[in-house]
Amino acid sequence: MMEKLYLIARIADTRVALRSRAINSVVTVGTPVEVPGAPPHVAGLFALRSRVFTLIDPHVVIGLPPVPVAPGQRVIVVDVADHGYALLADEIEDVCFIDAPETRVAGKLLPGWARVADAMIEHEGASLLVVDPSHFITLPVMKAA
Amino acid sequence: MVLLQFLGRTGTVIDDLLNDFLAETAEILSEAGGALVAWEADPADRAQLDAIFRLVHTIKGSSGFLSLPRVTALSHAAEDALDQVRRGKREANSALVTGVLGIVDRLNILCAALGKDGVEPTGDDSDVIAALGEQAASTETRYEVAGVPLRRDDDFQAELQSWRSIRVPLPLLDSVMTGVTDIVLARNEFARMLRESGASATVIASFDRLSDSIAGMRQSVSQMRMQRIDKLFAPLPRIVRDLAQDMGKKIAFQTSGGEVELDREMMENIRDPLIHIVRNAIDHGIEALEDRVAAGKDITATISVSARQSGNQIEIEIRDDGRGMSPDALVAKAIASRAITAAEARALSPKDKLELVFRPGFSTAAKITEVSGRGVGMDIVKANVEKIGGVVELRNDEGRGLSILLRVPMTLTIISGLMVRAAGQYFAIPRGAVREILLENGDTVRIDRVGGGELAMVRGEQYPLLRLETVLGRAASDDDDIDDRALVIVRPGQGQSYALSVAAIHDHEELVIKPAAPMIMATGLYAGTTLPDNGRPVLLLDVQGLVAAAAIDATEAGRNHDQIVAAEAQANAARNAAQLLLFRDTNGRVRGVRLSVIERVEDVPASALFESAGRVQAQIGDDIFAVHAAKLPETEGSLKLLRLYDGHSVLCYPIAEVIDIVRLPDAVQPSAAPGLIAGVVLVGGDPVELIDPFWLMAQYAAGAAAPVPHQPLCRLADDHDGWGDNFLAPILRSAGYRVLSGSEDADEAPDVLLCLTEDGASCTHSGEEIPVIRLRSAIAATGPDDETVYRYDRQALLDALARRVGGGWA
Repeated sequence: MMEKLYLIARIADTRVALRSRAINSVVTVGTPVEVPGAPPHVAGLFALRSRVFTLIDPHVVIGLPPVPVAPGQRVIVVDVADHGYALLADEIEDVCFIDAPETRVAGKLLPGWARVADAMIEHEGASLLVVDPSHFITLPVMKAA
Repeated sequence: MVLLQFLGRTGTVIDDLLNDFLAETAEILSEAGGALVAWEADPADRAQLDAIFRLVHTIKGSSGFLSLPRVTALSHAAEDALDQVRRGKREANSALVTGVLGIVDRLNILCAALGKDGVEPTGDDSDVIAALGEQAASTETRYEVAGVPLRRDDDFQAELQSWRSIRVPLPLLDSVMTGVTDIVLARNEFARMLRESGASATVIASFDRLSDSIAGMRQSVSQMRMQRIDKLFAPLPRIVRDLAQDMGKKIAFQTSGGEVELDREMMENIRDPLIHIVRNAIDHGIEALEDRVAAGKDITATISVSARQSGNQIEIEIRDDGRGMSPDALVAKAIASRAITAAEARALSPKDKLELVFRPGFSTAAKITEVSGRGVGMDIVKANVEKIGGVVELRNDEGRGLSILLRVPMTLTIISGLMVRAAGQYFAIPRGAVREILLENGDTVRIDRVGGGELAMVRGEQYPLLRLETVLGRAASDDDDIDDRALVIVRPGQGQSYALSVAAIHDHEELVIKPAAPMIMATGLYAGTTLPDNGRPVLLLDVQGLVAAAAIDATEAGRNHDQIVAAEAQANAARNAAQLLLFRDTNGRVRGVRLSVIERVEDVPASALFESAGRVQAQIGDDIFAVHAAKLPETEGSLKLLRLYDGHSVLCYPIAEVIDIVRLPDAVQPSAAPGLIAGVVLVGGDPVELIDPFWLMAQYAAGAAAPVPHQPLCRLADDHDGWGDNFLAPILRSAGYRVLSGSEDADEAPDVLLCLTEDGASCTHSGEEIPVIRLRSAIAATGPDDETVYRYDRQALLDALARRVGGGWA
């Protein structure tokens, strides 16, 4: 059943569905600690239960200008390659079962989204992009340059 | 390590036993490999043979219990062969060692398979066993009985000792470590909350107790992770042996410092670099036999690996006596591979040229060999070592060898860190790299702006200055107080230093360091993250990386040339500056004398002084010296004498006590007339009478009787009436001549002959080389050509002597 469980959230101004098994938790953050010299999508560091997490701003990954972190903002905590990251979310909507099958991404997406989106899924009369959080961790090469 | 592969499969007793067996066997096999090679080098080393026998015996015993027939058969064969050697029925030679090593290799393969599948794979080992047996057959004819007693009882003592320790899987140890670090972090967070909540003293006190025991536990766990570095060295002898044999080189391999302990995580990280460096040394460093002979070197090359602890760091040195590296060859290769341009190459310092070897994809081998030219180069070595905060250093002696120094921190997980502030946030600097902390506005600091760069001068030493905000690409925070700005003198590695300017120094703390996310580490600015007491993450600065990021040259060499010259000149001046010995005279006055004329200060009993011929003298040891005193001191007990020495004679000057040694002030107020006191100087505002050693020595020079290196020998000839012996000799002796009267015989020829009669016959036929002085009895000379000397004209006689032979004191 876990396969059908999705987190519906609005990240980088877009409603997306994230597969729940990829997600560690959803928490709120205070003011993160900046990392001077880091790539632009690194919004900072914050501590959670004795662990240090790297905060990622999905806006930058998609190609949008960065947004400031508001205290109390909710973030989606994911583990990638033994490191803890958190994706800044504009809004966390719901965790729900979606019975509909994941379908191939149809239509042309913006290059930023095309890179992170795995599939699409139908939910409550709307099409949502199914994204893999780990794709947000690394910046596309052209961005880093 | 094999151990990691089967950790998931615990459950039954047999599984546990198997796990233990595999872990133990893996350890034994790596140990046995090294021991075998050592034994091959010295087959007479009975202890080594016994140790190897025990190791193989242990494997056989445990495998029999677990019913692993192949392992048992293999270890039995090896044990058998070794036992024959022990009994003197077989000779230890390289063929035997190769055979046993073959078995060790096969056992390794079996154990790896066992770890993966849990069962012993089927197969045939008769090839390796037969290989061992064949050797036996061919050598069995050489039956020798060694006179070595069989010490089978010893074999089992080592096994008993193993009960003193237990075997713990590494992942378990790691999880304990992680757990403890989490406890420390949680404690830090709790401490902060406790402070904020204003808890009662009793709560704080019991929390402190908890804190202390956590600190103790953390210490123990850190120690648990420490391993002796000889574990790291264990596979090396085998690698060297095999490689040397393949390449037809003769190599003596030595390790030392195996008892040094290192965090096992550090160990994992330097294992591959170390092996790579050793392989490189054999492949590229050590010359072929004929080349060594041509170079006049010992045919057997030496490679040594040594470890030593220095502070919080471990230094591992890999040294070979091969051909070393040729900077010019490196440059030529770099240009050929287009890594650098010829123009760039010309600008390189000799050290930079050597460092080319660390360029990615750079291989020094003229041709790619199977051994080390595999694209895994020194760049990987450097990267691996630097990843754990270490440094790689090259010490090249072209033609005579290369030594590579790996310097790594003992442990990375918990370090003492200095917290600094810049651009409104905190950063940590490893305390070990900090040499000094200074206030930027302090008197000892001068900051020069030179051509857009900044230099910090600290007490005459020059450092390139980095502003942390600039390196990090941030603006200075408006909240910063300019008076808080501090300079941290950082020494990222040997021979490197720079001044890091930060907005403020906070404090220092014990920090649990964790690696930061890869993209943060990739900036090269940070070495990790940490969570201090305040609960906000702090980045640990990579002090080496900052140098690269700021693109400065932090090497110290040649930087302070002017300062070095100036400092040397200053030191020389200080050495040359006259020093003054201040003392209190016997009559209580403070006087001074140039230190350089004082030979030493004697402490003598008052009874050593005596009066003779109206002069006070002192007996010190077997010598008698003049003392500058009008009368014998009335004190009992002991007194101090300054021994003044002018190169010939000694004069003692009695004093009450020595006060100090100070620099002789330049301004001397000379006294009006020559005398004991040359003048007055001011020392610390007080007048001090300066003794004039020239005048002093002049007073006593005549009476002083210090021996001179050569005293001319005078022979008195024709001394018929004893006048020469009784009247002349004492005068000559006190004038510094040795005297030989006519009747005495001497081994050495006299320097001068004194004829006491005008027509002495013995003077005429003496050798021509010896000058002759004739004495006459009459006062008046017989004519202008008369060279004789009136015998009571003391001065004329001494002058004549001095003219002819020199010496004497007249």
